This record gives sequence, C-alpha cells and structure tokens, in this order.
Amino acid sequence: MRRLAGAWPGPCPRAGSDSVGAMPDSGYPWPISTTRLDNGLRVVVSEDRTAPAVAVNLWYDVGSRHEPSGQTGFAHLFEHLMFEGSLHVAKTEHMKLVQGAGGSLNATTNPDRTNYFETVPAEHLELALWLEADRMGGLVPALTQETLDNQRDVVKNERRQRYENVPYGDAWLRLLPLLYPPGHPYHHATIGSMADLNAADLATFQAFHQTYYAPNNAVLTVVGDTTTEEVVALAEKYFGAIPPRSEIPPAPDGRVVPATGVPMAETVVTDVPAPRVYVAHRTYPFGTPGYDVLTVLATVLGSGRGSRLYQRLADGERIAQPDLVGAYGVDLAHGPAPLIATATARPGVSGERLAAGLAEVVDELATVPVTAAELARAKALLATAWWRQMSTVDGRADALGRYATQFGDPATVAERLPAWLSVTAEQITEAATEVLVADDRVTLTYQPEEKP
Amino acid sequence: MSLIADRPGPGAARPYRFPQVLRRSIAGGQVVAAHLPGQNLAVAVLLLDAGAGREPVGSEGLGGVLAKALEEGTAQRDATAYALAIEALGTELVTGLDWDSFQASVQVPVERLGAAVELLAEAVRTPKLDPEDVRRVRDDEATALRMDWANPGPRADAVLRADLFGADNRWGRPMYGDPGSVAGLDAEDVTVFHSEWFIRPGTLVVAGDLDRIDLDALAAAAFAGTAGGPVDRGSAIEVPLRGDRRIILVDRPGSVQSTLRLGHSAPHRAHPDHVPISLAGTVLGGAFTSRLNHLIREVRGYTYGIRGEFASSRRFGRFGVSSGVQTAVTAPALVESVGEIARTQAGGVTEDELAVARSWRAGQLSVELQSPRAIAGALTTLVVHDLPDDYHARLRESLLAADVAQVSAAAASYLHPESLTLVVEGDAAVIRDDLVATGLGDVIDHPGSS
Repeated sequence: MRRLAGAWPGPCPRAGSDSVGAMPDSGYPWPISTTRLDNGLRVVVSEDRTAPAVAVNLWYDVGSRHEPSGQTGFAHLFEHLMFEGSLHVAKTEHMKLVQGAGGSLNATTNPDRTNYFETVPAEHLELALWLEADRMGGLVPALTQETLDNQRDVVKNERRQRYENVPYGDAWLRLLPLLYPPGHPYHHATIGSMADLNAADLATFQAFHQTYYAPNNAVLTVVGDTTTEEVVALAEKYFGAIPPRSEIPPAPDGRVVPATGVPMAETVVTDVPAPRVYVAHRTYPFGTPGYDVLTVLATVLGSGRGSRLYQRLADGERIAQPDLVGAYGVDLAHGPAPLIATATARPGVSGERLAAGLAEVVDELATVPVTAAELARAKALLATAWWRQMSTVDGRADALGRYATQFGDPATVAERLPAWLSVTAEQITEAATEVLVADDRVTLTYQPEEKP
Repeated sequence: MSLIADRPGPGAARPYRFPQVLRRSIAGGQVVAAHLPGQNLAVAVLLLDAGAGREPVGSEGLGGVLAKALEEGTAQRDATAYALAIEALGTELVTGLDWDSFQASVQVPVERLGAAVELLAEAVRTPKLDPEDVRRVRDDEATALRMDWANPGPRADAVLRADLFGADNRWGRPMYGDPGSVAGLDAEDVTVFHSEWFIRPGTLVVAGDLDRIDLDALAAAAFAGTAGGPVDRGSAIEVPLRGDRRIILVDRPGSVQSTLRLGHSAPHRAHPDHVPISLAGTVLGGAFTSRLNHLIREVRGYTYGIRGEFASSRRFGRFGVSSGVQTAVTAPALVESVGEIARTQAGGVTEDELAVARSWRAGQLSVELQSPRAIAGALTTLVVHDLPDDYHARLRESLLAADVAQVSAAAASYLHPESLTLVVEGDAAVIRDDLVATGLGDVIDHPGSS
C-alpha cells in the first residue's frame, strides 16, 4: 500500500571480485552489523560512504495477517495514522520535517508486515531517528478522533482509486479468498472492507499500537553514509527508553493449507475492455528453497519477451495482448505464497480460449523441461533485478530489514541471489509437478458485459 | 518512559557532488558519460531527436508503434532470437519517448554493456520492419491504448491538452496518440519515420564505472551506419491564455470517483524564471506537504492524493493539477482547489513553506541521483536542454538561494486562476448540477464522451 509514488536510486559497489555473470559468492558484498538494545530493538547497520545519504527503515512485524475478522484494513489504516503526529511531533509536522530536510519518505503495509522508511542527506540521520522513535513510543497520546476520521476517508479514497474505479482493479481482492480459506491469515486483502473501515473506532487503534508497535517487535535498519557506532549510540539515545512488550500475540498459523483437490473458478462479468484471465496457485513460503525455485520458474514463465507466456500466447498463437502477459510470485513468508499468471485477450479471442491457452502453458512446466537457454535467460534477468534493488541505499535497507525480521539474521540476505542462480531445470519440473497441479488451481476470468 | 522531546538539529553537511561528466565526439556521434567508480550496474541510453514533437499531425503514436516494431526482428535475427539474445544479458530493450526525444536503453552488469549496446543498436538502426509485423504491432498498440483509455485519466488529459494547446496542433494532441490515431497509421508511415529520424547518430548517454567501459567500442556500435546531422528543433511556441475559465465535463457513468485535471499554459523549459516557477509549483502542489495536498487530502479527506506542478518541454509548458476525488465531493474539491491556486497567485508563498520546498528539492539531488539509471536520466536532461556539465551543482545553489520575493513574484506572474480549464471526468448525471452551481465557469459537456 504505497502512500506516495517514488522509487529511490542509489549506489552499488562492485560485487565480489569479478563479474556477476559468473556465480557470485554473495548477493550482499557490504558490511552488516546487528546490535540488540536492552528493550529488544534490533539495530542493523550497513555502512557505505559512496554518497552523502542515509536510508532509515523500520520493519514492524505486524501486517494484515494479524487482523481478526471484522477489523480488515486496520493495519494499513494504522500506517496512515503514524504520519499524523506523535508526542513531540505536531500533526502534519512529520512529513514537513523529512521533506524540509531534503528527504524522501513512505510506508507500506502488506499481509506480512508494515515498513516505514526515509532516505535523507546524511546530516539529518538524527532527525529521522528522533521522528521514528517518537512515533514508536509516543503515538497514542497524539491520536485523535479527528485524525482517525480524516485518514479513514483518505484510505477509503485509496480503495476507490486503486481497486474500485479501474478495470480489473479488484482482481487481488477476489483472488485471495479463492486461494486461502476463511480463517487463514491471507484470506482477506490488506486494504480491508469499507464496512470494517467504517466501523473502526479510536480505542481499537490505541490498543493496536500498544500491542504491536513495541521495540522488540521491530527492526531498525540504517544504510549509507554513517557508522555502526554512530547509529547504535543514536538508537540507544532515542529508542532506548521505550519499554518492550512482554507478550505480542502471534497471527494465526497459516503455514499449511491443505490441497483442496478441486479447481476454483470465478467469472466476473463487468465493465472491462477485454477478457482477462488470472491463474493462481499456492506455492511455498518466501525464503524457502522451494520458493527460490518458484522465483526462477515464474521468470521462465512470465518475464520478458523471451518468456513462455509471451512466446506462446502473445507471439505464437497471438491470442494475448503483448504488453499484458506475465507471471510473478508474491513474496509472502508466513504461508504458501501465491504464483499468479495473467493474460488479456486480443480482440476476437474469448475468455475461455485464453484461459485454456494460459492453463496449457502453466501445465507444460511439469511436462516440457526448461532448456538451458531458458534457464540462463531467467537467471540473467533475476541477477539484474537483484543488483538493481541493491543499487540503492533504501533498497538495501528494506532487504536487510526483511531478512532480520523474517529469518532472524540480516546477513542471510546474501544467500538469495546465489540460491536463485543454483536452481536447476529438474527442480523447476519437480516444483511444477508438486504445486501447479490443475486440480488445485484458481482461475479468475473477467468478461466484458454486453453493451446494449 | 522518557522520549526525547527536543528535535535534533542537522549534523555537519556533507558535500554534494554530481559525478564527473565526460563529453566526447566519437565515430560520428556524441557520447555523454558519467563516471561511477565501483558501480556494478551500468546503463546506456541512445537518445534521438525523434520525440512526439516530430510526429506529423494526424500520425500521433507513430513513435510508440515504431518503438515496439524495433523488437519484431532485425536485419540479423528474428523477433524470438532477438528477445532471447538481449534477455540472456539480463536486460530488456527499454524504449520511451517524450515531446523532445526518443530513448532506447539497456541496464546490465557492467561487463555486459558492450554486448547490450550492440543489440540495442541492432534494433534501433537495422530493424526488419516487415509491413505485416508493423501492422500487427500497430493493432496491438491501438488495443493497448484502448485498454488504457478504459481507465480514468487519459480522456481527461487529452481533453485538457486540446483545450490548452488546440487540437489542430501536434502538441494539442496526446503525446502517445489515442486509440483512433494509432489504428489509422500505415506501415509505410512507420518505415518513413524510421528512415527520417532513427538513422541520425544522436547521443549515447552512459552511466557506469568508466574504468570498466570502452566508450570507443560502445560509440562504434551505436553510431555504425548512421548518417545525417541535427535538424532545427524549433523555437518556443507562444500559447495564449484562455480569457474565461470553463469546466469541461467528460462523462464516466457509474464512476465512484471524479478525475480532476486543471490547467493552463505556462513557460517553456529554457525560461529564465524556471527555478522560481518550479518552486512556486512545489509549494502549491508538488510535494506531500504542499498546500493542495494538505487541504484536499489531509484536512478534507476528499482524495488519496492531489498534485499540482509546472511541467515544461523545449517548446512549451503548462501548469496542471491532477487528482481523483470521491464523487459526492466533486464540486467542493474543485472549488477549494481553484481557491488555493488563486490564494497562492494573490498572496505568494511564506518563508516557512519555501524553506521546506527549497530544502526538499535541493536534498532530493543527493537522495535521488545515485543509481546508474537516475544518473543517466540526469545526463539526458543536460543533452536535451543544452545544459552545462555543472548544471546540477548550480541548480542546487539556485534552489537554495531562491527567496520569498522571487517565488511569490513567479506565482503572481505565472499562475492564472481565471484562465484555468477545469476538466472533470466523472458520473455526469450525479455531478453536473453541482458543477453548474459552483459558478466557477460555464459547464461544457464533452461531446461523445460516454
């Protein structure tokens, strides 16, 4: 749930001794230090003096998977409230102070977690840490009904703008309940329902903060023009007095979703310009060897003009719009993550024909072995994508926060790229055989409504 | 618990520097490069004077179709072989165009840059352009635009542009064309446009570790077989302001939001007041903390976001505001937006607001201009607008030096609330009466818009 547009570029030093074309030893050739404060806050620092900027990133281990029934959308709405002032920061001041320091800032919420981040010229590091500490430790006294009402309206407009007012905008909202059963933490979408948002009351949000926004439920990462000593001293100074919370309730366990053995299909007839099909499967949790295989598989299947979907549906049979075919995994770590493949029909092609074509290409991952050229192409694209994320201080900070939060050690970030590059064609066939079976498939089809 | 109450001040400022810029004339073309020592990724952009401004009136979208057709096979290999060859290097061929230029680029690990630029040049200079392929690409592009135009926004943008600049001018029509203009293109139009504009050498922009990059070899590949020189790029276009403010209503039945596109013409990019004009735009609508976003989102809750800014190309410019607001509050959102523009025009900016705007814009140079892709984009700006190597350093200084009087004067001179065109794309049956009642101007129903 991006609040503001913006992608941040940054520097990227040489990786390893020779080339990334060869197998690199590490996907993270920068120093990493981790320090745990007495209150449980983990402080991760990665020094890089290339540019006079620092990225500050906080991962809170709370997302929409923690929301009980009737409170969907609360984690994300709460993220908005975190920008509206805290004990020593007046309403509207947070954004003004960061932008007035020359910084970029944003926050996102997804099913797994919530992250808050700013990149600022290096001399404003202390300001950024002060602001983050004040809203971690002092949000509740500043939270008012007026602020809640205003941001509830903003979020409802976000929902209209991103999901309701655009063709196919609600695909993700429809896919999740088809993929995950009621009660599963991924059953509902992060944006939540209008009814739940309308029912949100102030006390619930005060309790939400007290429950989850504790130092021992967060990772603070700083990457860029600073040192571990400086960051740890500042973290101690600003965050050190915030008390930990002894019991943080876990989200429901969603690691195992039994195969249904029954394909799920939904057809939506609505105001869309052409038929579109989504095929989705539950796969493996992000961070597991199985998901590394899935990541390469998704790239073989649906990234670029050399991918199977493009070659077969856009170029070969020419039943799909060239710019609108693709496949990707959604990197969720607390349950079997979804793989989604999609195509949109060329004029004159029916939704049924397109769905059959899409299913056939997905099925063939289990029967037609991936060639050496397909594998090399996918790995080259993934390597560039990896180094592109690592080329920015903010990209690196977010990755370190993720690996510290989800896997307990930020240094494990270095293992991901080598793991992708060691995936074999046989593993892809095995994964396809295991998790892409037609009997356990979700198919969502949009059909244009007949115009009078 | 004791949080620290006092806000810390800044530490010692670290020096800002833009990377060293190298300009060379090699193999009949120009190379502009930035040295990024230690960078593992590298970006190359071939920049051609073949932007949308070069398309003939009636052929809008020509450049977009040509860009896609470049990948449908070359003199050396077919489309599939080309895709596999370039993607095996870890990049796709990324194409883009704006009013002033056409760009084709690659982004790869640095040791693969030579091979990637060879493939880039192969597609740009020697595409097959088989007429049957071109017609298919054209149809796909027309469909892609039709899909895009099913979203709120593109129709409103086109209506605003036509009203500001006149639909009989190329710059009064959509930059990427519309579904109809693209469907009407001939394969031969595409071939002719290629031979006229894509064979000239142009400029190769490179951002990466130059110690590991052979610029001579890149230039030899990029400029091989090219001919022809620069062509006059035309002078700034005088665009008269509208005498009366008006509302143009574009019907989108059932829409749960109304899309707002407000604007009037403004100075072109080389105007001497460029910096104060852009800072006035930042205070009014260019940042999250700007006046418009504060009022319409943070105080009223009418929208997820609203932006306003001055945008300019070599020959023309415009001031524009865009947002999506809940249908029920369309009229008040419009009234308050126009009110905020008028207030800024009449009263100027405050020192507090300007302090945030100039620090933000200056700081963004250190924060944003770091990756090879971003640096290449900055070099492209130097080339397209004939700016000196130290432009970004000077820009930082002039942003920080701009004072309230200068920026308020720019707001007074270049904002024209009485001349705005107010395009509203939404459910006409629900909002029309409210719009009339605002008294902001005549309400004109856009013909054939549902």
